[in-house]
Amino acid sequence: MQRRQSLPFVFLLPTMAILLVLALVPTFYAINISLQGRTLSNPDAGYIGFQNYIEMFGDRRFLNALWVSAKWEVITVSATMIMAIGLGVLMFEVAATRLRNALCLIFLIPVLLPRVCAAFVWKFAFHPLYGVITYPYRALTGHPLDMLSSPNAALFAVAFVDLWQWGFFFAVIVLKLLEALPPQPIEAARLDYARPWQIHAYITLPMLRAPLISLMFVKMIESLRSFDLIYVMTRGGPGTSTETLDMYAFSQGFIEAGKISYASSMAVVMMLATIIIFTVLWKRLKA
Amino acid sequence: MKNTLTGRVASTAIVLIAMTTGMAMAEGAMCKDTVKVLAQPRDGLTLLETYNDEFKELSGAGFQIDYLNEGDRRSKSQADASTTGNYNVYYVDEANIALFASSGWIAPLMDHYPAEYDYADFDAGRQATATYDGKIWFAPVLGGGDIMVYRKDLLEAAGIAPPTTLDELKAAVAKLHNPDAGIYGIALRGKRGSGDNVWRWMPYFKGMGGEWFVDGKPAFNSQAAVDATNTYLELFKFSPPGTQTGSWDEDTGAFLSGQVAIIIESAPLAGITLDPKASQVVDKVGFLPPPSPLTGGGFAHGFAIGTKANPDKAALDCAGLWAAWATSKEQEMRRLAAGQSGELNRNSVIGSPEFSATFGTALPEALAATASHTAVNFWQDARWPELGNQWGIILEELISGQRTDVQAGLDELNVFAEKLVAN
Repeated sequence: MQRRQSLPFVFLLPTMAILLVLALVPTFYAINISLQGRTLSNPDAGYIGFQNYIEMFGDRRFLNALWVSAKWEVITVSATMIMAIGLGVLMFEVAATRLRNALCLIFLIPVLLPRVCAAFVWKFAFHPLYGVITYPYRALTGHPLDMLSSPNAALFAVAFVDLWQWGFFFAVIVLKLLEALPPQPIEAARLDYARPWQIHAYITLPMLRAPLISLMFVKMIESLRSFDLIYVMTRGGPGTSTETLDMYAFSQGFIEAGKISYASSMAVVMMLATIIIFTVLWKRLKA
Repeated sequence: MKNTLTGRVASTAIVLIAMTTGMAMAEGAMCKDTVKVLAQPRDGLTLLETYNDEFKELSGAGFQIDYLNEGDRRSKSQADASTTGNYNVYYVDEANIALFASSGWIAPLMDHYPAEYDYADFDAGRQATATYDGKIWFAPVLGGGDIMVYRKDLLEAAGIAPPTTLDELKAAVAKLHNPDAGIYGIALRGKRGSGDNVWRWMPYFKGMGGEWFVDGKPAFNSQAAVDATNTYLELFKFSPPGTQTGSWDEDTGAFLSGQVAIIIESAPLAGITLDPKASQVVDKVGFLPPPSPLTGGGFAHGFAIGTKANPDKAALDCAGLWAAWATSKEQEMRRLAAGQSGELNRNSVIGSPEFSATFGTALPEALAATASHTAVNFWQDARWPELGNQWGIILEELISGQRTDVQAGLDELNVFAEKLVAN
C-alpha cells in the first residue's frame, strides 16, 4: 500500500527537480543581477539595492513600454479569440467534412512557419513601394502606404501578422472542440428552430467556456513572447511606438547601453506583473 | 674560383630556402583551431571565403565568418566580447572602438600584426580612425568620408546645377522631388542608432557649428542642434517611403534602383553606383563632396583581435595573422579585380594603374576631393554608443511624427548626457 502511494512521487521527483532548477536558477540569477549596477563593460559592479527599480519608474521609455505591452496583449489576444471563434463556427456550420479537413491543413501552415521567417515575409509584404499588402492602396490612390513607419499603424500591422499566425491555428482548435461536443443539445435546438448564431451563443460556446478560457491564457502567454516578431519587423519603432517591455529590456541590455542589471530589473517587474495579473484573471474567469 | 663561387651561391640558397621553409612551417603551425570571425556582410568577405584553403595553407587552420547586419553585429559582438568570447576576430567600427578597447575586449593590433603585411600602406584617415588612446586596434576593411552622388540626367533635365551649398541642396531637392513620377528628392536614414539616423544627422549638426560639449558641459540642445534637426526633418519630407525607419540598405537601395535624385552617403556608395550588378543608374551618376557646410562623417570598419577567445600569445598571433591576411594588398587587388571599389583601403591599391583602369578618373578624383570635407563628427568616447543610440530613438520619434517638439527632444537628450557624463 505504502509502495503504491510513494510510486507517483518517485516518478514526479526527478521531473520536478529538473523543472525547479531550470525555472528557479535563472529567476534568482535575474533578481540578483537586478540589484546590482552591472553593465557589459563593467561586469564587476556591486550591489546598489533597488536603485534600478526606482530609476525605472522615472524612465519614460519604460512607462511607454508598459503601455505598449498592455495594448499588444489586448489587441492580439482579443483579435485571435474573435477570429478563432468566428472562423471555427463558420467552418462548423458551412463546410462539409472533406472541406473542413482541407481547411484545417491549410490553416495550420502559418503557425508552422518559424516566427522570424514569417516576420521577414510580412515585412516585405508591407513595403510601401513593393509590398503585396500595400499594393491595393497604391493602385487606388497612387500614393504609397507606409504602415510600418507610422506610429499609429505599426503596432496594428505587426499584430496583424501575429493574428495571421495564431488566429487560423486557434480556429482549427475551436472547430475540433465543436466537433467533440455531444450532438444532442445542438440537434434539440435545431428542432426548436433555433438559428445557428443562437445555437452557438447559447449552447455550444457556453459549453466550451473552460477550454476557451484555457486557449485565451495560452495566447496571452504566447503574446508576451512576441519579441522575435517585433524585433524583425520594427525593432520597437517607429520611435517607441511598438517597443514592448521585452524589446526595451533587450535594447537596454544588448543594443544601446549594455545595462544588463537595468534590463534584468525590467524582466523581474515583467515576471511579477504577469504572475499577479494572470492569477487574478484566472481566478475571476474560473469563477 | 668559379666552383667556390657556385658553392657559396648554392650554400647561401640552401640556407635561404631552409630559412624560408622554416618560417613557412612556423607560420603554418601558427593557428591550431579554426579562426572564428563575427562580421557584417561585405562583398569582399564573400570573395575572401573562396580563399579559405589559402589561409589554411598559410596558418595551419581555416576560418569561419558569421554574418549579421550592422545593428545586430554591433549588439552581438558587444554581448559576445563581454561574456562568452566565442569569436577570435571581431568586425568593429569607429563608433564602438573606444568601448571595445577601453573595456579590454580587444587586443592592440600591432602586437600581433605581422610586419610584412605593411600596415603603413593603409590610408592615413583609416589608420587615424583605427587608433584609440595612442594604439591601433583594427585592420581596415572599408572606410572614408561622405560623398554626394547625384543623378546627372535628372538635374540636367530640370536645369539644376549640382548643389555645392546646403541652401542649393534644399532648393534642388524640393524641385527634383516628384513622387508621382517615382522620383524622390533625397534619401536619408531614419532608423534609430548612433550609426544610422544619428550618423547622417551629424554632418548637419557639425556643419552648423554644433559641439557635443562646451566648457566641459553637454551642449546637445544648442541652437545648432535645433537647426540641424529641423533641416534634417525638412529634408526628410522628400525621402522615399521606407527610409523613415530605414538604414543604409533602404536609402542606398532606393537610389540604386533609380528612385532618388540626390544622396549624401558614406563614400563606398560611389563605387557601388558604378557596378551594373548592383545599380540601375550606372551611366547617370555624378559625384561631388557634400555641400558646404556639411562635414563628411569620417568612418572606418575593420578587424580587431578578441581577447577572451584568444587566451594565449599563439592564439592572439593567429587572429592577428588572419586580420592581416584578410586585409592584405593581395586581397584588396582581388576585390579591385572583382569591381568592389568600396572595400579598398590601401594607398598602393587606390593609386595603382589597375584602379584607374577599372574606375576611370572621375571616381578617384571625387573620392580624393571628399578628404578635405571629412571630419570626426561623433564623440570619441566609450560612452558614445549609449548616447548616440539615445538620440537615435528621439530622432526616430521626430522623423516618424511620434513627437514634434525638437527643442524638448534635445533637452531630454541633454539631461541624459549630463547624467551619463556624471556617472
